[in-house]
Amino acid sequence: MTLSRSFSNLLAAAACTTLLAAPALAADPIKIGVPVGLSGANSVVAPSVVQSAQLAVEEINAKGGVLGRQLALEVADDASGAAGAQKAFDSLVFQKKVDVLISMETSAARNAALPIVARGKVPYIYTSFYEGKSCSPFMYVNAWVPEQQVPPIVDYFNKEKGAKKFFLIGSDYAFGRGMLAFTKAYIEKTGGKVVGEEYLPMDGSDWTPIISKLKGAAPDALITSTAGGAPNVTLTKQLRAAGVALPYGNLAVDEGTAKSMGTDAEGIYLSASYVTGIDSGANKTFLAAMQKKFGAELKTPNDLSVPEYEAVYAYKAAAEKAGSTEQAKVLKALGEISVEGPRGKIAMSKQHHAPLTMYLGQVQADGGVKVIKSFPNVDPGAQCPNLKS
Amino acid sequence: MTAFFRLGSMRFALMITLVLDIITTAAILFIVSAGLLIVFGVMKIINFAHASFITVGAYAALVASRLGLPPVLAPALAFLAGGLIGAAAERVVVRRLYGRPLDAILATWGLSIVIGQLVTLAFGREVQFVPAPISGTVMILGEDYSGYRLLMVGAAIVIAALFTGLLNGTRLGLSTRAVIMNETLAQGLGIDSTRVRLITFGIGCGLAAIAGALITPLASVDPNMGLSWLIGAFMLVMISGGSLLTLGLSCLVLGGLQVLASTFISPILGGLTIAVLAAVALRLRPEGFARA
Repeated sequence: MTLSRSFSNLLAAAACTTLLAAPALAADPIKIGVPVGLSGANSVVAPSVVQSAQLAVEEINAKGGVLGRQLALEVADDASGAAGAQKAFDSLVFQKKVDVLISMETSAARNAALPIVARGKVPYIYTSFYEGKSCSPFMYVNAWVPEQQVPPIVDYFNKEKGAKKFFLIGSDYAFGRGMLAFTKAYIEKTGGKVVGEEYLPMDGSDWTPIISKLKGAAPDALITSTAGGAPNVTLTKQLRAAGVALPYGNLAVDEGTAKSMGTDAEGIYLSASYVTGIDSGANKTFLAAMQKKFGAELKTPNDLSVPEYEAVYAYKAAAEKAGSTEQAKVLKALGEISVEGPRGKIAMSKQHHAPLTMYLGQVQADGGVKVIKSFPNVDPGAQCPNLKS
Repeated sequence: MTAFFRLGSMRFALMITLVLDIITTAAILFIVSAGLLIVFGVMKIINFAHASFITVGAYAALVASRLGLPPVLAPALAFLAGGLIGAAAERVVVRRLYGRPLDAILATWGLSIVIGQLVTLAFGREVQFVPAPISGTVMILGEDYSGYRLLMVGAAIVIAALFTGLLNGTRLGLSTRAVIMNETLAQGLGIDSTRVRLITFGIGCGLAAIAGALITPLASVDPNMGLSWLIGAFMLVMISGGSLLTLGLSCLVLGGLQVLASTFISPILGGLTIAVLAAVALRLRPEGFARA
């Protein structure tokens, strides 16, 4: 009896200490966890993501931080895979006790990490475009889903190029097949026809039989969704070598890859929520600030890194609206705020996803991407009907 | 009647494309496996680093194109780089393992990791790009076909001719065959078998590098690019049983079946064709198809 009383006294004392310590805690930095693939397949893009986060944190801290507290980054390598992501998320959530997670991840890594996020009840802003329909009350997405990326290309080919017969080529994996399944449905819905749909394993490099089939099918336009990097380059080179000069929409190419492909990439159409050529004050300011901070070390900002920058600002806006870093309050506020960034004004207001302005670009002879047309506020559609906001 | 005729001519066009696909695929497979035929078929060393030497050759072609050298020199530079690295690897690693085939597998696998990492350190992890020396298509029997792929058929024939000449027409070839048949006897005849093995391994690796340089204009250059060719090359060399002629034949037959499976069933199955059929063939005839 006495023992248990003294124990509860001890508890009360501990509680008092915690309360007394609270003002001191407020001065501690707010921790932002960034689990990314610094090694493995994502290592090509991860450094640009980290740079984006660093700039956002530096800018916010220079202006007094969030709710009077500074921001601090905790970057963790997830080795671009599911097993690595579990470790990275686990250590960020339970050891580093981060206040928020902001990062791009592969779909496999994201799926492996979401149960950990749910257990820790930490808000997670997912900044990678993906195949859609991943839903968690703790996750918000500020990047595109197929419903936003595919229509600009198909509509443009349909209306401006008079294309009715489409040929689809992809890499044999979830994202490649998912994107093309959506593309096929969308083409058929808008009155077009898919005359061929072919896949090669991810490590395959000889596209010859598929290209011969493509030529045999005589389509009006071609849309591809390969794994990034090597498969995309080999397919494009072999298409060019085989003399294929159809309107060519590539769902997996980014500016950096297009530039490295040289003249073979010329004429490719791509659809993205960010290209460096966006003609807005916010984008120019952002690019100049990145250039100033990183100089020769700068990794070209891209469709995976810019959402990271904006998501840090989204967290700031949400914490300020909630008036606290308390995670439940921040989660609620994340669906209500909007931030102005290089991609324009972004609100994650549609079932935890964001309507986005999409840009249809065409690769030029010098490897740069010229914006042909912009499609403002493309709706992500019903991604998570069971989530309220 | 005209509709029928048009259908007939379309079939004909598809046939031509199919035949060209088969021939060029066989040629590329032959180029990629020729280096392995020397090292595995002749020296009986299972060289898992074969893929890395293909990669080395590809980066040699990349360097050649960055230096602005004429594209014809790219395979030569590749042969030099692959041959030198191969010879060095033979001296340091492979030499000790001629009697220990299982250890050789592990050691060459390790070697491939080392080479892959060195390439990554020197050139970075990203996918790079060598422009094709000839671009566009050539008209063959009324069909546009990729000019560079057709060029590969010529390259395969040149490599086969050089290879045969080397093995049958030179003193080195004679010594090599002697060393392989009976090393002790060859040494007794005054042949420096250590030197012969060094040169042969170097040439094998150099040939792998040439293959790398030749396929880059159709592929991308990245530190793992050789890997996708490794299994196919091994299977082809194994069923060929160590002869150049049977290697050519197995490339044509299995490459042809790969193209047919890819065209008429699915490219995913096509990717498995060579491995599966080679496994079946080896089950039926473990010694391969060369008359030993």
